[in-house]
Amino acid sequence: MTPPEPAPTPPPGFVLHKKRLRFLGLTVEDCIKAFFGGNAIMSIVVLALITYFLFREGAGFFGQNRQNLEVYRQAGLEYVDYLRQQTDDHTALTRYLSDVRLRALNHYAEERKLSFEDASTALAPFDEFAGKFGDAVEPLRGLVSELSDVATAIKTKFIVNEDKKEERRQLLAENKAAEAAQVAITPVDFATELKPLLGTLPAYKDANREFAAQLTTLVSRVPALPTPDLQQRMARWQQLARDYLATFPTVERNLEQWDYRQPVPAWKSFSSFVFGRQWLTASFWQDWYGILPLFVGSLLVSLVALTLAVPLGVGAAIYVNQIASTREQKIIKPCIEFISAFPSVVLGFFGIAVLGQALRLLSQQEWLAWIPGFPYSERLNILTAGCLLALIAVPTIFTLAEDALNNVPTALKEASFALGASRLQTTLKIIVPASLSGIISAVLLGLGRVIGETMVVLLCAGNRIAIPDFGRGLAVITEPVHTMTGIIAQEMGEVVRGSIHYRALFVVGLVLFILSLLINYLAQGIVRRYRISIG
Amino acid sequence: MNPPQHPFSVRPGAVHHREQPVFWLFRVATYFILACGAAVFLNIVVKGAGTVFKTEAPFINTTFLTEAPESLYIFEWEGKKMEMGDREFRAFKEQNPAAAKVKAESFVYSAGGIWPCIVGTVLLVVGSMTIALALGVCAAIYLNEYARDGAFIRFVRLAILNLAGVPSIVFGLFGFGMFVIFFGWNVSLLAGWFTLAFMVLPVVITASEESLKAVPKGFREGSLALGATKWQTIRKNVLPYALPGILTSSILGIARVAGETAPIMFTAAYVVRDKLPWEVEQLGDFFFQGVMALPYHIYVVSSKIPQNEYTERVQYGTAFVFLVIVALIATVSILLRNRLRNRYRW
Amino acid sequence: MESPSTASPTDRDKAANSSVRMGTASLPAGTDPSAPRSPASRTLIDIEHLDFFYGQTQALNDISLKIQDHKVTAFIGPSGCGKSTLLRCFNRMNDLIDGTRVPRGTIKIHGVDIYQPDVDVIELRKRVGMVFQKSNPFPKSIYENITYGLRLHGKTEKSKLDEIVEKSLRGAALWDEVKDRLHANGLGLSGGQQQRLCIARAIAVEPEVILMDEPCSALDPVATAKIEELIQELRSRFSIVIVTHNMQQAARVSDRTAFFYLGRLIEYADTRDIFTNPANPQTEAYVSGRFG
Repeated sequence: MTPPEPAPTPPPGFVLHKKRLRFLGLTVEDCIKAFFGGNAIMSIVVLALITYFLFREGAGFFGQNRQNLEVYRQAGLEYVDYLRQQTDDHTALTRYLSDVRLRALNHYAEERKLSFEDASTALAPFDEFAGKFGDAVEPLRGLVSELSDVATAIKTKFIVNEDKKEERRQLLAENKAAEAAQVAITPVDFATELKPLLGTLPAYKDANREFAAQLTTLVSRVPALPTPDLQQRMARWQQLARDYLATFPTVERNLEQWDYRQPVPAWKSFSSFVFGRQWLTASFWQDWYGILPLFVGSLLVSLVALTLAVPLGVGAAIYVNQIASTREQKIIKPCIEFISAFPSVVLGFFGIAVLGQALRLLSQQEWLAWIPGFPYSERLNILTAGCLLALIAVPTIFTLAEDALNNVPTALKEASFALGASRLQTTLKIIVPASLSGIISAVLLGLGRVIGETMVVLLCAGNRIAIPDFGRGLAVITEPVHTMTGIIAQEMGEVVRGSIHYRALFVVGLVLFILSLLINYLAQGIVRRYRISIG
Repeated sequence: MNPPQHPFSVRPGAVHHREQPVFWLFRVATYFILACGAAVFLNIVVKGAGTVFKTEAPFINTTFLTEAPESLYIFEWEGKKMEMGDREFRAFKEQNPAAAKVKAESFVYSAGGIWPCIVGTVLLVVGSMTIALALGVCAAIYLNEYARDGAFIRFVRLAILNLAGVPSIVFGLFGFGMFVIFFGWNVSLLAGWFTLAFMVLPVVITASEESLKAVPKGFREGSLALGATKWQTIRKNVLPYALPGILTSSILGIARVAGETAPIMFTAAYVVRDKLPWEVEQLGDFFFQGVMALPYHIYVVSSKIPQNEYTERVQYGTAFVFLVIVALIATVSILLRNRLRNRYRW
Repeated sequence: MESPSTASPTDRDKAANSSVRMGTASLPAGTDPSAPRSPASRTLIDIEHLDFFYGQTQALNDISLKIQDHKVTAFIGPSGCGKSTLLRCFNRMNDLIDGTRVPRGTIKIHGVDIYQPDVDVIELRKRVGMVFQKSNPFPKSIYENITYGLRLHGKTEKSKLDEIVEKSLRGAALWDEVKDRLHANGLGLSGGQQQRLCIARAIAVEPEVILMDEPCSALDPVATAKIEELIQELRSRFSIVIVTHNMQQAARVSDRTAFFYLGRLIEYADTRDIFTNPANPQTEAYVSGRFG
C-alpha cells in the first residue's frame, strides 16, 4: 500500500515535553491536588479526634470509679448499706400498709358513708397494727444512723488525706520541698477506724433477733379488713413480709463475712457503670455512676417519638410521592423541610410553655381516662418530650423515605398498572416493599436524630434520674426521666475538670457516640444489602 | 335511559372507590404534620410578636432588639403596679428616697433586650460557616474532581456519613475537650467556631459535591481538550458555575449552625456578659472571648426563671426573634435552591 | 440510521461532489492542491498494535493504523466498536476515566510516542484539538469561549486576541452570524452554531489535528450540512479525524475511512474504495446497511 516512508521528524514547535516547576518532586498540579486531598481527609481526622478526645477525657473514669468503689468498701459504707437496705425494705412494707389504709378509708367513706371519725374508729385495730409494725424497726434505724456517721467520718478522713497528698505532690512539683514537708499526712488505718463499726455486730444480732420475732408475731395476726379486695391485698402484704423476713439470715451472713480488705475487681468498675441502676452525684454518702436510668430514659423518649413519627412520616412520604398532585407536592415538601429547620431549643421552650400544660389538661379529661397513665400530674415527662421529638424526627424520616420511594424504578410501577392493579394496590404491594430497605434506614436515621437530640429532652423530659416504674405498663410514658444527652448538657457546666463526675460525663458521651455510629452503620448496611437494582 | 353497558364501564364498589379511605388516611397524616408545625410556629409568632412589635410608631420594640438583658423589678408604688428594668429602678430609687425600702419582686433577664445575643449568634454563624465552607468546598473539590474510586475514598465518604450522624452534644463535648481544655482557648468564640464548623462539615461537603456534580462533564472535557491543566479547568470552568449552588445549599448549614445549642453550651456561650464582643482591649482578645447567643439565652430564660406573665414576654420574644431568623435563612435557602435547580439546565 | 434526507439537494450534492473530488485528488501523491504545507501523504499519527482496556473489558484489540497529515480520516462502525475510544486516545482524554490502561502498543504523533511518561499531557492537548459529540460551549460570551484556550496559554494582548477571534470564527464559518454579538452568551446560539463555536474554539489554539467525535449526531440536517462544508474548508489547514455514525457523512467528507468492529480494525482504505469496493465482507455488509 503505502511506500516505506522516512522516519518522521516532528515539525519545529512540536514539543510534547515541557519542564514544569517542581517542589520535592511534585508539580504545582500535584501540590494543588494534595491540598484538596488534605481537606478531604479532614472528615476522617475530625472523626478520629472526636474518638481520641472522648477517650482521653473519659478513659480515666474506670480507674477512678474503681477507687470510688474501693473507698466505699474500705470506709465501711458498704457495710452500713447492707443494714440500710434492711430498713429501706421495711419502709417499703410500711408504705404498702398505709396504701391499704387509704383504700380502706375510701371504702368506709364512700361505700358505707361513714363520717371521718367513725371510719377512724373502724380502722383503729389496723392503725395499732401498723404502728407496731412501724415502731419495730426503730432500734435498727438508730443503729444505722449511728453507723452512718462513723462511716462518713472515715470517708471524710480518707478524702482529706488524699487532698493533702495531692497538695504535697503539687508543692513538690513546684520545688517547694519545705512547705511540702509541712503538709501533715496521717495515713488512715482502716482496721482501727472500722473497729467501732464492726464492734456493733453482736448488738445488731440481738436487735435483729428481737425485730424478727416481733415481725413474725405481727405478720401472723393481721387485722381484719372489710372487703375481699383489701383482704387480698393484705394477704399479698403478708407474703411480702414473709419474704422480707426470709432475707434476714442473708443480711447477717453478709455482715459477718464482710471484709474491708477484699479487693474490688476491675470489672466491677465497668459493670457498675453499664448496669448501675443509680446515677447519684454530689451526694453526702456515696456517688454512683450507673448509666442505666439515663439509657432507659433516652430509649423510652425515643421510642415514644418514633411511635408517633414513623406512621406520620412514612404515611406523609407515601402520600406526597404516590397520591398527591404535583401542586400539592410543591407545597408540602418545602413546608416539611421548613419544619426541620425549627431550632430544637425553640421546640423545647414550646414544650415547657404550651405543650406540657396542654397535654396534662388533656390527660385530665374524663373521656380520656381509659388511656394508660391518664390522668397524670407531672407536666414534663416522657410523653411531652416524645411528642416534640416526633416533630423533629418526622422531617428526617419523611425526606429519606420519600427519596427511597422515588428511587423505585418507574418500570415496576408501570408493570403493575399494566396488569390492572389499582393505585393503592401498586403502592402498597409494589412500591413500598421495593423501597422498604430505604424506609427502614430512614427510620433508623430518624432514631439516631432523636436519641442524639439534647435541648428538647433537657427542657421537657422532666429530668428525674431514676428508672421509671415499668410495673405500670404503658403508663410508664407519663413519668419524668433523664436522658444521656440531657445529663451531659445539664451537669457538664458544673463539674470540676478531671473529677470522676467529669469523666463519667465523657464516658456517657462516648456511649452516645458509639451508639450513633452503630445506628449509622446499620442504616447503611440495610440500604446496601437490600437495594434492588433494575437495569 | 341507562348508558349502554360495556366491559370497561365503571362498576359500583370498584377498587378505586374502596381505596379512597386509605388515601384519606395518608392525607390526614400529611396535613397533621403540617398542622403541628404551623401550631408551633404560630404560637411563638403570635405571642412573640407582642414583645417585638408595638402598636404605635416605630412599631418595633427597639429596646428589646438593641439593649442588653436586665433584671425586671415589680413593686407597688403609690397604689400603682410598677415594672422597671434594673437601671431604671436604680435611677428611680435615687429620685425617690422613699422607694429604697420598697419591696420589689425581681426576675432576672426579664427586662431589657437581647442585642448581645443577636450579635453573638451572628458572630458564631459567620465564623463557623467561613471555616466550614473553606474546608468543605475544598474537600468536595477533591472528592468530585480529583478522587478516583478506591478504598481511601470510600473511607472518606464513610467518615463523612458517620460524622453527619454524630449527636450535636458529642460535638460539644469534643469541642470542650479539644479546644477549651487541650488547646487552652477557654470558653471562646474560636472554640465555638471550630466546634460548629466541624459539626456542619458533612452538610457543606454534601451540598458542595452536589453542586459540583451539576456542572456538566462537557465543560471539563472541553477545557481539558484545549490544553488546560486540571486546576485551570476547575478554577475557570467548574467552580464559577458551581459556586452559586454551593452557597445556597450551604445556607441550610447556616440554619443548623444558628439553631444548635448543645455544641456551644460549653464551648462558646456565656449566660450573661456585660461587654459587647468588640469592646476588647486587644484585637487578639476578640477571638478568645465568650459570647451570649440566642439559642443558649432561650435555654436559660426558659429553664432557669419561672413562667409567669412578666417573664413570658422575654421568653416568647427571644424565641420569636430566633425562630424568625432561622426560618428566614431556611426559607431563603429552600427557595433559592429550587430556583437554581430549575435555572441551571445545561 | 440518521440520513440527511431533508437536506437541500444542492447542499448534499455539493458535499458529495467535493468529497469525491477530494478523494480522487488524494490518490496521486503530492498532487493535493489544498495541502501546500504537506509533502506526499506524510504519516501524522502512527498507531501500532494498540490494546486498550476499560477495567477488565478490552475495548481495542491490536489496532495498527497510520493517519495521514492534512487528510480527513473517518472512523466508522457500529456502536461500541471502539472508534470513539481510539479517537480519545489521541489526546489522552481517556486518562480521565478510572481504570483505563494501554498495556500494549504505541501511538506516535510526528514520531513522538504520546504514551511515554515524559510526555506532558497538557502540551499534547494543545496540539490535538477536540470537538465533542454534544456541543459544549462554556456558559461565557462567544468572545471568551474563543479566547479561553489562548488565555490559558498566556496570550492576553487584546488586539492579538481580537484578531484571533475573528480569524477563528471566520474559519468556523460563524463570523457573519455572530460578529455583532461577540459578547453574548455562547449558550444562546443554536445547536449548529454552538458546535461551530466549539470548532472555532478548537482552531483558535492552532492545533495540528482536530479530533471530531460524532460532531453532527445531535444536529439537524441543515446544521449538519454546514458543519460538513466547514470540514471541507478546514482540511487545507488541519488534519481531521472524525468519528461518525453516518456512513453518507463519512463518504462525503473523508479521504480515508477506517471501519471498526468489536474493537478491531477491519478495513482501512481510501473512502471511495471502502464504499464502492470493500475488501472485507463485513465492511460490505455494514456499508450496505445490513447491520449496524
